Amino acid sequence: MTAAAPSPKANMGQPVPRYDAAAKVTGRATYASDMPLDNPAYAFLLTSAIAKGRIDRFDLDDAKRVRGVIEIVTHENAPKLKESKLFSNGGYAGTTIQPLKSADIAHDGQIIAVVVAESYEAAREAANRVKVSYTATAPSASFDSPGTTTAAAKGQNAQFKEDPAVGDFAKAFDAAEVKLTAAYDTPTQHHNPMELFSTSCAWMGDNLVIYEGSQFVYGLKNGVAEQLGIDADKVRVVNPYVGGGFGSRGSMTPRTAIIAGIAKRLGRPIKLVPTRDQGFTITTHRAETRQEIKLGANRDGKLLALRHEGAEVSSRADAYCVGGTKTTTRLYACPNVDSLVSIVRADRNTPGFMRSPPEVPYLFALESAMDALAVKLNMDPVELRRINDTTNEPIGGKPYTSRSLMACFDEAAKAFGWAQRSPQPKSMSDGDWLIGYGCAATCYPTQMGPSAARVRLQRDGRTRVEIAGHEIGTGAYTVIAQTAAERLGVPLEKVAVFMGDSDLPPAPVAGGSNSTASTCSAVMMVCDQIRQRLFKAAMPAQSLTDRAKETVGLGQTPATQAAKGDRPLDIEKAFDALGVGVVEEYGEWKPEGAPLDSFRAMHNGQVRLVGGHAMKDQIAYAFGAEFVEVRVNRFTHEIRCPRLVGAFAAGRIMNPRTARSQLMGGLIWGMSSALLEATEIDERNARYVNDNLADYLVPVNADVAGVEVILLSEQDDRINPVGVKGLGELANVGTNAAICNAIHHATGQRIRKLPVRLENIEV
Amino acid sequence: MSDTSSSKRSAFDRRAFMAGAAGSALVPITARAATEEAKAPAAQDPSLPVEVTLHVNGKDKRLRIDARTTVLDALRDHLKLTGSKKGCDHGQCGACTVLIDDRRVVSCLTLALAAEGQEITTIEGLATDDRLHPMQQAFVDNDAFQCGYCTPGQIMSAVACVKEGHAGSEADIREYMSGNICRCAAYPNIVAAVKQAAPEIMKG
Repeated sequence: MTAAAPSPKANMGQPVPRYDAAAKVTGRATYASDMPLDNPAYAFLLTSAIAKGRIDRFDLDDAKRVRGVIEIVTHENAPKLKESKLFSNGGYAGTTIQPLKSADIAHDGQIIAVVVAESYEAAREAANRVKVSYTATAPSASFDSPGTTTAAAKGQNAQFKEDPAVGDFAKAFDAAEVKLTAAYDTPTQHHNPMELFSTSCAWMGDNLVIYEGSQFVYGLKNGVAEQLGIDADKVRVVNPYVGGGFGSRGSMTPRTAIIAGIAKRLGRPIKLVPTRDQGFTITTHRAETRQEIKLGANRDGKLLALRHEGAEVSSRADAYCVGGTKTTTRLYACPNVDSLVSIVRADRNTPGFMRSPPEVPYLFALESAMDALAVKLNMDPVELRRINDTTNEPIGGKPYTSRSLMACFDEAAKAFGWAQRSPQPKSMSDGDWLIGYGCAATCYPTQMGPSAARVRLQRDGRTRVEIAGHEIGTGAYTVIAQTAAERLGVPLEKVAVFMGDSDLPPAPVAGGSNSTASTCSAVMMVCDQIRQRLFKAAMPAQSLTDRAKETVGLGQTPATQAAKGDRPLDIEKAFDALGVGVVEEYGEWKPEGAPLDSFRAMHNGQVRLVGGHAMKDQIAYAFGAEFVEVRVNRFTHEIRCPRLVGAFAAGRIMNPRTARSQLMGGLIWGMSSALLEATEIDERNARYVNDNLADYLVPVNADVAGVEVILLSEQDDRINPVGVKGLGELANVGTNAAICNAIHHATGQRIRKLPVRLENIEV
Repeated sequence: MSDTSSSKRSAFDRRAFMAGAAGSALVPITARAATEEAKAPAAQDPSLPVEVTLHVNGKDKRLRIDARTTVLDALRDHLKLTGSKKGCDHGQCGACTVLIDDRRVVSCLTLALAAEGQEITTIEGLATDDRLHPMQQAFVDNDAFQCGYCTPGQIMSAVACVKEGHAGSEADIREYMSGNICRCAAYPNIVAAVKQAAPEIMKG
């Protein structure tokens, strides 16, 4: 086996190669802008050069003279669209700022015109020739800008229900033997998936087809239909492959309905490929935060008091926040906890989910503070976590369904060689390089959503699985194929999976790391329906339900895939008994505790995820531990991260190959959030400055040396039928803290503001 | 667009193109490929389409395109070869990497007119007779991608990286593959894939 395909441990599937591997290495995988269109017109966006104010007038004469220009759409002649509510308020949109509706400007880079032409080149040239006169007013950019307003998140964000608290924090903190108070800053970040935010719209009569990379085809379909005022069944969203999402494609952006409306009016398909810099303002981003942590402990390291306060920047229009205190107040045993999340409104576009939205910024603060507390206590930071490990979360006292946090710490510490660390800061070096070791915990809530699936089995074993899930690089095709193959006992190569199409049975948003748990649970259930039908036909005398549940394998499965006590059924005999050539089943699955309106909401493209801390009698999280080696050059202050080691436990691992890859990518994302990524804001103009891939630093191959992923075996039967916790957002949490902790170990300098660049090091 | 089997090797004259694009009426835009019909007005008005013959994956493709069309847009929008991807259109990400006369270039920063007469190889031209190229197979074996969007560019770049002699060590591979961004960060697997495929590619 190659390093890419680790041998499965207990409760892990086979590390089979990706279902979509051949398509992806040959260029045959078709992303949104690859879809062929019949005689398309090309759209080019024009975006606002001011952040606040209004458009006085457009001068379009010069632009209209460009050969090939078909139409220039501004707020004066744009198709009328209905307003869309925010996804958290029962709608579909990631922002309620609707461009082309009026002359008002709410943020820099807002769409103010769409130029449509016969060619991309003509549309671009004409867009550059549009002259815009504005009346600008001074915008508020971010924290500390005059004119911002601040208020508690609770009460203005429907999804932020509580500021978790328990006991008496003030009293306990006052009385604590060891105290720590520290402030932390995290920057604005942009997802920058490799695929641009392209949208193609083609009408056939009253029916609209949208080709757009989306993490939620049902949400997009219903949202665009609502904005256009048409029946959702007339809209189809197609995207068999998505060129990275990371949250940026989870909720509807305004561009889609605009392009659909213009295409309808022109009677011609329109293809929009926005530029990379436009992607910074026409979608969402991770908002900057400011946080403060207070920890009180006794001399033995037992936490007595914890307070976590966070402030996040959002737009004037929408009260978006991630509110990571729901996790940080529950990670460790602590009897006295207090927290507060507030939202700062500025003249910016509305932020949104970005990979591990709450955990990346909020665990940076907590896990940095835990390290600082360990130093104060003169204690190994791993041992401080062990002392405060818990089986029940402290706020409501609910038990974790399973929790392998310390097992992860121990495995990762061993692989990393943590025992070789000399605890004193600045005590390890190699020539000009100061060496630091650091670690941190990671966790991510286990979430599930209602999902449907259709499965068809032919008598020759060929199987077709249909589900409107999303392949954003996670390996969704692969694990769904594996689930069907295992459950039906057919060879993997006979399974075909169809996804990324809103005409297929609905699946939840590919977000919150819920996809594998939700879609595989649905596929498993529907495969069981097929088995029941076959068993009923082949063995009419047998007790049906129990038998079908216990029996895996329809005759062709290798013995290794069948559970103990299972026995195969001759598939051809079963088909003969049924007297059919094809068995097809459709089913809808919902997780325990899902709200009553789950299935209706699922068809309407509304998210009903359950899990994490919000479960009734229990709390479900995946855990991990990350160790890093940092090297800081004592003269140039250059920071290098030659080793990242992570151990993770996330319930059943469907495929160790795709799981390892995703966790590996996550660790690199985590490193990046510590050392590279930040969207710089021009405070005078509330404008993103480094809005391209040369100036917005993301890791390249040379930035990444040793990355080791350790998958722990963990079984959790209390979460969902497949026993999967989800791991897409697990590995990039805590890494930022681990790196800052290692920098402290290397240099003695505690850095609490991300990202850390060489100019921040004072050796 | 038309396919012909002969490979016409007209050398493109950069100065002539610059002059043409600047609006000079004196110099035709393309020396040999353009027809008379396209040639005269093109020199007068740079926004009029020009004719160009691109040699892509062993076939001549005749196109009538805007003179500002990049190789990337010519491939994607005019030749329906959508394997090469647009990730930035600025030469910053490498998703559009193709081989032109066996050198890796970012096709988003290369005008189609400038590539006339040169051999363009795209991801679609790498596999032969349904057999994956060793680099493609190595990417599969080592799970060297996740979302797959940067993958065609990574693979084209990797093939050139090996042929340039820059795959001798892991450090070399990392350095010489750093023009191709993978946001999913499959980097360690990409390095493993290049290492696996290198000997077979060098063998011939």
